Amino acid sequence: MRTARNIGYILGLPVLLVLVWWLSTLGSVNFFVPKPADLVETFGEVWFGDRFFSDVLPSLGRLVVGVAVAILIGVVGGVLIGSVRWLRALLEPTLEFFRAIPPPVLVPVLMLLMGITDSMKVMVIISGCVWPVLLNTIEGVRAVDPVLSDSAHTYGISGWARVRYLVLPSASPQIMAGVRQSLSLGLILMVISEMFASSSGLGFTIVQFQRSFAIPEMWSGIVVLGLLGVAMSFIFQWAERNILRWYHGQKEVENAA
Amino acid sequence: MQPDTQPNTEATLSVRGLKKVYQADGGDVEAVRNLTFDLRAGELACLVGPSGSGKTTLLKCISGLMAPTEGEVLLDGKRVTGPPKKMAVVFQEYGRSLFPWMRVRDNVELPLKNQGVPKCERDRLVDDALESVGLSHVPRSYPWQLSGGMQQRVAIARAIAYQPEVLLMDEPFAAVDAQTRADLEDLIRVVWKKLGVTVLFVTHDIDESVYLGERVIILSSSPTVIQEDIQIDLPADRDQLNTRSLPRFTELRHHVYEQIQLAKKGHRPAAASSGEETRLKGQHAG
Repeated sequence: MRTARNIGYILGLPVLLVLVWWLSTLGSVNFFVPKPADLVETFGEVWFGDRFFSDVLPSLGRLVVGVAVAILIGVVGGVLIGSVRWLRALLEPTLEFFRAIPPPVLVPVLMLLMGITDSMKVMVIISGCVWPVLLNTIEGVRAVDPVLSDSAHTYGISGWARVRYLVLPSASPQIMAGVRQSLSLGLILMVISEMFASSSGLGFTIVQFQRSFAIPEMWSGIVVLGLLGVAMSFIFQWAERNILRWYHGQKEVENAA
Repeated sequence: MQPDTQPNTEATLSVRGLKKVYQADGGDVEAVRNLTFDLRAGELACLVGPSGSGKTTLLKCISGLMAPTEGEVLLDGKRVTGPPKKMAVVFQEYGRSLFPWMRVRDNVELPLKNQGVPKCERDRLVDDALESVGLSHVPRSYPWQLSGGMQQRVAIARAIAYQPEVLLMDEPFAAVDAQTRADLEDLIRVVWKKLGVTVLFVTHDIDESVYLGERVIILSSSPTVIQEDIQIDLPADRDQLNTRSLPRFTELRHHVYEQIQLAKKGHRPAAASSGEETRLKGQHAG
C-alpha cells in the first residue's frame, strides 16, 4: 500500500506532463515539436541498437571515469589541504583562480594540447567536477570537532588511522554534498566535451541530429540525457543513505529534542 | 612534605611547577601560574576550583594535548610530551567525544584496534568494559541513540577498556541531570576500586568532589595556584544517602566551600608559589 503510494508520487507529475504534452500537440503539425507517440517510437529506433554501444556507452564510460577521478583527486587533495595549514595558505588563492575558470573554455585548449581523444574529454569532466568535491572536502576536514579530535589524540589515533576513523567520516556529509554537485556538472561537461570535435558520444549525436534536421531524434537524445540524470540521482541518493545513515539519524534526534 | 620541585619517586603522576601562559592579541594571559602536586598510584583525587581557574588548561597539559609554558608533568617518572599510552581522558562533552558514525561497541573497541590488540583479547576487554558500566545491552546502538548519561557511560567504558594507569576526567558529569550524575558518581567509585586505577577528577561541583575523592585539591582563582590540598577521611564505602548525611561530610563540604569562596575573592594561600601542601586534620570531628 505504502509502496504503491510512493510510486504514485514518483510517477504522478511525469504522467501529467506527458498528458499535457499529448493534448497540446493533438492536431499540431509543428515540425520542431514531435508528438509523444512519435518520440517513443523514435526513441526505440535510435537508442536500442548499435548506437547504444557506439555512443551511449562511451559517453557513460567517460563520465564515470571523469567523475570518479575527480572525486578521488578532490577527496585526497581536500584532506591534505584541509589538514596542513601552510599548504592551505599556499594553495587557496591559486585554487580560487582555477576554480573561477569555466571548464567549457578549456575544451579548445585541451584539444590543442591533448588532441581529440577520450582523455581530453575525461580531462574536461575532471577539470570541472573536481572543484565542488575539493572545496567541500577542505571545509569538512577543517570543521572536525576539536573535542572529537582531542579524544582521538588522547587514544593515540594519529596518522592514517586518524584520517580513516576521524577525518573522512567527519567530513563525509560535506564530501557527499560536493559529490552531488559534481555529478550534475559531470553530465553537462560530458555533453559539452563531445559537442566541439568528436565522432561519437551523446553530445555529438544530439548535435548531429540537430544539424541534419532529425528533430524527433534530437529530442529523443535529450530525453536520454534527462533519464541519465534521474538514474544518477537515484544511485547517488541510495549511496548517500548508506554512507550517511549515522548523520541523518543524528540530525533527526537533534531536531526531535 | 617538602615544598620542592623534585619528582616524587613514589608518585604515578607528578605535576612540577606547571605554568601556562596563553599568547593572545591583547597581551599574554596567565591561566596557570605555578602548580605542583603528586598523585600516588591508585589514588582518587578531585580537583576543584572556581570557574575560570584554569582547570581545563591544567588537564590539557597533564594529558599531553597542550605543552606547558614552564614546568613539567611526569607519568611514572617520564616526562609527558604528548598523549601518553597509559592515560585515558573522559571529556565533559560526551556528545562530542564519541564517534557518531560508529556503534557503541566500535567506539569502545577503536583505541584497542588502533594499538593492534589481538581480536580475542579486544573482545574480552570491550565486553568487560561495557559490562562494568552497565551497557552490555546496547552494543549495536549508535551513541546519539542513547541518553546523555548513557553516552558518558560509553566514554567511560572506552577509557576502561584502554586499561590506563591514570584516568583523567574533565567535569564529566557537568552536562547530565542530577539523578544520572549520582549514578555515575557511584559508578566511578566502583570502577576505581575494581581497577585500582589512579583517577584525577576535575569538577566545579563541591559536593561531588567531597563525595568522590579520597583527596581534594582546591585551586585558587586565576592565575592558578593550589589553594589547599586536603584528605577526605570519609569511609571507603560511600553511598549517596548515608555518606552525604554524615556530619563529617558536611564539615568537609563546608570547608571546601569556604576555601572556594576565599579563592573567588582573590585570597591566595601564604605559600602560593611553592604549592605547599596543607592538610585538614579531623580537628572538628567528634
